[in-house]
Amino acid sequence: MIMKRLLAVAAFALFGVVAQAQYAQVNLTVFGMDCAPCAHAIHVSMKGIQGVNTVDVDLNTGLVTIKLTPDNKASMRQFNDAVEKNGFTHKDADIIVRGKLTGTAAAPVLEVTGTTDRFALVSVAAGSDVASLLGKTVTVAGVLPQAPKGKVADTLKVKSITEAR
Amino acid sequence: MKILLVMLCAWALAAPAMASDHGPVFGYATPVNSQGEVSCDAGIFGRGGTLGTQVSTGTGCGYGVTPHITLTAFLPVSFGSGALPENRVMPGGEWTAGASWRFLHSVTSVGKRIESTASLGVVVPGPQTDSGILAGQHRAAGVAGTLASGYASRSQYVWFGGGYTRFAEAARDRRPDTISWSAVYGYRPPKLRRGYDQWDYRGFAELTGEHTGGVRSNGTIVPNTSTTSVWLGPSVLAIFKNIAIEGGAQAPVYRDASEAVYGREKVRFAINFSYLRFSGHNSSHGKG
Repeated sequence: MIMKRLLAVAAFALFGVVAQAQYAQVNLTVFGMDCAPCAHAIHVSMKGIQGVNTVDVDLNTGLVTIKLTPDNKASMRQFNDAVEKNGFTHKDADIIVRGKLTGTAAAPVLEVTGTTDRFALVSVAAGSDVASLLGKTVTVAGVLPQAPKGKVADTLKVKSITEAR
Repeated sequence: MKILLVMLCAWALAAPAMASDHGPVFGYATPVNSQGEVSCDAGIFGRGGTLGTQVSTGTGCGYGVTPHITLTAFLPVSFGSGALPENRVMPGGEWTAGASWRFLHSVTSVGKRIESTASLGVVVPGPQTDSGILAGQHRAAGVAGTLASGYASRSQYVWFGGGYTRFAEAARDRRPDTISWSAVYGYRPPKLRRGYDQWDYRGFAELTGEHTGGVRSNGTIVPNTSTTSVWLGPSVLAIFKNIAIEGGAQAPVYRDASEAVYGREKVRFAINFSYLRFSGHNSSHGKG
């Protein structure tokens, strides 16, 4: 009985370590919002996604800024769905995301922790030592290009990549 | 059970693109509800002329089935005994139910979109009797279709629309067919292009027109009952997040109607209150 409890505590602790922030921030450009209810609709839809902490909508720039809680499991598809269900179009997304770096040094892939989101990293700066980061958990800041309706881009243009603490 | 089925069918059919929440108060416009959004409208709509006044108050509801299809229903109650022409742009005493389909939706840039919406619905006579030439007429249900196209942006709005309503015959009586049209221009001044957590105002110039056919009574067309009129006037829409208040008035710029039958209709006005409830539910969860 004590052993079972110890195992449960260990599993919980391990899960706690794995369930770190995945998407930390998503800055999504949305086309088509002209008025306050449009922005309010986006706000309500984004807040309905589990793990979303704050949402800010700027009608004049079309920028939707989403900040997430550390233990979220939100996926990029959910953010896009929230835009599409309100009849708008999502464009490029500036994201800060955490995940495991896999693939090769020439073709690195980011597997976003806790989701099935997977992005081929492109435009990695020449100075970045991708090879030394392979297999490690990294934090990537980058741009996800616009994807067709119902889809999520499969490439992430990297602005910066660092080993996650 | 039959009543329930009839009500469900009525909900599943389309109502004319009655002005509400996002758009002009008189003219036809393209906005539809977002998926899962419930909108509720309550308003007062009035018409005044030399042969009396007619005021309608009613409640309308809409539900967004998809981002581009909205089911609507409108249940008005009318007061007054004005001898006024048949009218479809302004709500009368008829119950309507139907659906609107935004079949064209082109998002061009931040805040801008071009879209077209078609609506089809059933119009059912309400429990109240009509007044004027229509009083004592046997009434039957009708079908109403509308089409609207337009451009929306942070600064300007332009919508054009038209509609047609045809009623069935009842005991050799038939209400006149109505063709209606509208053109709307809207403007939001630069100082009012603010954040969504502040009141959002915009003004409209609304031009509406209608042509009604002759009233058929006991199998024959009643002379001098066909009318044509064009109306113009301003309206203002104020929105705060999910609450909208709108008001406007119109005066006739062209009128071809028998004064002996209908008098001189001089003014139309409308005040509408909308509540929008957006859905926070998202269809896909967790892992994408």
